[in-house]
Amino acid sequence: MYGRVLGVAVVGVQGHLIRVEAHVGRGLPSLTVAGLPGAGIQDARERVRPAVESAGFTWPLRRVVINLSPAGARKEGPGFDLPIAMGVLAASAQVPGTHLSSYVFAGELSLKGELVPTPGILAVAIAAAAAGLAGVVVPLANAAEASLVDGLEVIGAPTLAEVVGFLRGSWRPEGIPSERTQEERVDGAAELDFADVRGQGMGRRALEVAAAGGHNALLIGPPGAGKTMLARRLPTILPALTRAEALEVTRLHSVAGLLTEGRLVRDRPFRAPHHTISAAGLLGGGSGFLRPGEASLAHHGVLFLDEVSEFRRDALEGLRQPLEDGRVVVTRALGSVEFPASFTLMAASNPCPCGFDGDPRRTCGCPPHRVQGYRQRLSGPLRDRVDIALTVPRLTRGELLGSTAGERSADIRGRVEAARERQRARLEGTPWTCNAQMSGPYARRHAGLTDAARTSLADAVEALALSGRGFDRALKVARTLADLEGAASVERQHVSEALVFRAPSHQEPPTVIGAGVG
Amino acid sequence: MPGWAELVRRPADLAREAPAPRTPRPESLPSWPHGFASSSADREALLILSGLATLTARKLLELAVEHPTAAACLAAVRRGRSGSAGDRERAVATDPELVRSALRAADARMVAIGDPEYPESLLDLFDPPAVLFVRGRSLASLTPRVAIVGARNCSESGCDVATGLGLALARAGVGVVSGGARGIDSAAHRGALAGGGRSVCVLGCGIDLVYPASNRELIDDVATSGAVVSEYPPGIRAEPFRFPARNRIVAGLSRCVVVVEGAAGSGSMITADHALDLGREVFGVPGPVWSPLSQVPLELIREGATLIRGPDDLLQDLELAQVGLRDGTAPPDGVSEAARQAWDGLRAPTTPDALAEAIRISLSAALAALLELEVRGLVRSVGGRYERRVGDDDG
Repeated sequence: MYGRVLGVAVVGVQGHLIRVEAHVGRGLPSLTVAGLPGAGIQDARERVRPAVESAGFTWPLRRVVINLSPAGARKEGPGFDLPIAMGVLAASAQVPGTHLSSYVFAGELSLKGELVPTPGILAVAIAAAAAGLAGVVVPLANAAEASLVDGLEVIGAPTLAEVVGFLRGSWRPEGIPSERTQEERVDGAAELDFADVRGQGMGRRALEVAAAGGHNALLIGPPGAGKTMLARRLPTILPALTRAEALEVTRLHSVAGLLTEGRLVRDRPFRAPHHTISAAGLLGGGSGFLRPGEASLAHHGVLFLDEVSEFRRDALEGLRQPLEDGRVVVTRALGSVEFPASFTLMAASNPCPCGFDGDPRRTCGCPPHRVQGYRQRLSGPLRDRVDIALTVPRLTRGELLGSTAGERSADIRGRVEAARERQRARLEGTPWTCNAQMSGPYARRHAGLTDAARTSLADAVEALALSGRGFDRALKVARTLADLEGAASVERQHVSEALVFRAPSHQEPPTVIGAGVG
Repeated sequence: MPGWAELVRRPADLAREAPAPRTPRPESLPSWPHGFASSSADREALLILSGLATLTARKLLELAVEHPTAAACLAAVRRGRSGSAGDRERAVATDPELVRSALRAADARMVAIGDPEYPESLLDLFDPPAVLFVRGRSLASLTPRVAIVGARNCSESGCDVATGLGLALARAGVGVVSGGARGIDSAAHRGALAGGGRSVCVLGCGIDLVYPASNRELIDDVATSGAVVSEYPPGIRAEPFRFPARNRIVAGLSRCVVVVEGAAGSGSMITADHALDLGREVFGVPGPVWSPLSQVPLELIREGATLIRGPDDLLQDLELAQVGLRDGTAPPDGVSEAARQAWDGLRAPTTPDALAEAIRISLSAALAALLELEVRGLVRSVGGRYERRVGDDDG
């Protein structure tokens, strides 16, 4: 009395094919799961029997053993209810074995035998397609999501009864809405637009440069200056996601259980975690089933850290790795899991704990050592990865009234896409696709500075006490400015503008203690 | 009920209303008895008396009316005649020899009332200290003296102004007097030091300590070229009530007082009040009317203090020779045309985009121009707006 079906364990965002074996033998009625089931799968034991009985099938009143093979790795994920149930039904000869080896089964069961929406189905479908299987049997609610994968038959079943009906040949799923038709949907979702922003010309410019070169940016300004407003609009000027990128993003969101209606995510994600977030929440992890963190949910999009200096130090430290490699590796005793996390970082901060340093109309009451500590906290882990820094002033009523509304996001995006295209062409043959990724030495050799630009950069290094890293960052941003303009070489004005966006010097004491003379 | 018109005060009414009286001076001004600190026992007693928290200069003066020497005053304090119980215990327990060795360790000396080094101008105070502790040069060699005071959390431009004033006074051979606080105080000392001059720093804590500690290097520099002064012996911590007392010495040591920036109700006003009580002239550097930091100088100017726009005005009013500093209104030379236009456009702190719009150039061009000026040290960015820098041109 033996049955075998296929399931998928999701580790990180990667699906791994698992053989779910069931054996019904002599002994007192019981259900044992072997093969390193995680806590979530142990839990399934209690659901499967009621679900099978509710759906009108017979639970064998004998000793049932389930084995998850290969047995070496711990399996996680809520999708194992269905394969376990099917294994038992196959072992007790209630379903024919014909299709069992060519379909992957995944889905969580309710006690009534319904298949409920399950996270990570896209990862399951991708794994099934990669293994060359014919199709997947998934909850109806996840069918659209699974159908994002090309060349895979998707059986979306509402309950366990339909799954059995499908195997017996007595039930066929209705056509699921194909993803192609979904693509037709009107792109009215982007209600945010730079055209709504009054004033803040510098902010708009800084974000355009950040988008064009893939640069991470830091906005410093008092409360109410418009930092968040600006940051939220960054995704609207980033180039549209390619289909491959969209699938990657969708898979991450699917694993995190954030996918609604199984649509392909086509807008660049914008994630703005609160500053109380834990390192695990930001980077991924958790006990048992490892979830992708906010950094991964922002993959191919924008990770916005408002009040960045209030974030926990370990969380910010952990961002180094994704900022360097575009991925997060979460290591646990039982092995490590990798989540892609390649995002544009937007950080925002007050200039000082009270927020009013540098505001002409308010007095900052912070003692200088606290201001300095505050700035160091914000600069510490992220210093070397933030190319663009901008101080955003709180505009006075007069300044707001005097300013004009901005350009539309679509127009800016046009320039950004052209600049990205130029970078891709120039960086052909390197591991990089945009200016922000260039290594310092490469940037110094290949930035293409004119002699005038070189001289003015050297002068500025002297006068502004720029560090070596600050120099490299200015160089990369200048390159992006030239790309935005379509200029082949980096001219003097590009260097000048890049230097305006340089990070404030961190060694310098805050504004008050006397600037040396001469 | 009277109509509103009756309630409105007209300028003529305002003139009739007498200004609020300043701190009333006591009818009889006791002064230090002759020979108060002449014997070595008296000087030893002063080492102890100066460290007692509640025995202010005024209380000691009152005590000295009945007990005409410092040693007698100490004996009276030990008997419980004046001062708190804690002071009495301290007066009994303190070993003058320890205070003396601490003074030596701090490289400081005691200057008591009646000593030749005791600055005569302090006697104008209604409660001149019986003793001063001094590090550095003799105060007599540091005359004339002008005080520069202002806010601790000053703006960058206020800091520039104080530095410029300190520099100009130093070059004109005037000693700069200020406290040891951050902000305007530090900037004034820095300016004086940069001008190759001497300054006098008046501490609100023991002569061997520095508050804030980050100013240690600056104050050591001041002690090397000028003098550091305190009415407190070594080991006395900085406490809030000591700073107003310190301010009276700043005013007392100086021929006039310049107030650069100060928020309403701040210590700058206290110093100015002391200066007015002493009959010293008060100068105010005005700032924008909406800035909280302009409130003290503007109020002083409104009450009759002399307005100065910068070092030139001050030197002229003090009848000193001009020393040639840029005042922040002269256009720079040797910069590009765009940079000159940008400079002209920066009449007030302005965001780059507003500047670009005002002078009708592209944002990129405006940014390039601003960076050119910044590299030359002519402008700077504060909180996202650019402003002109004032101060030394060729220092």
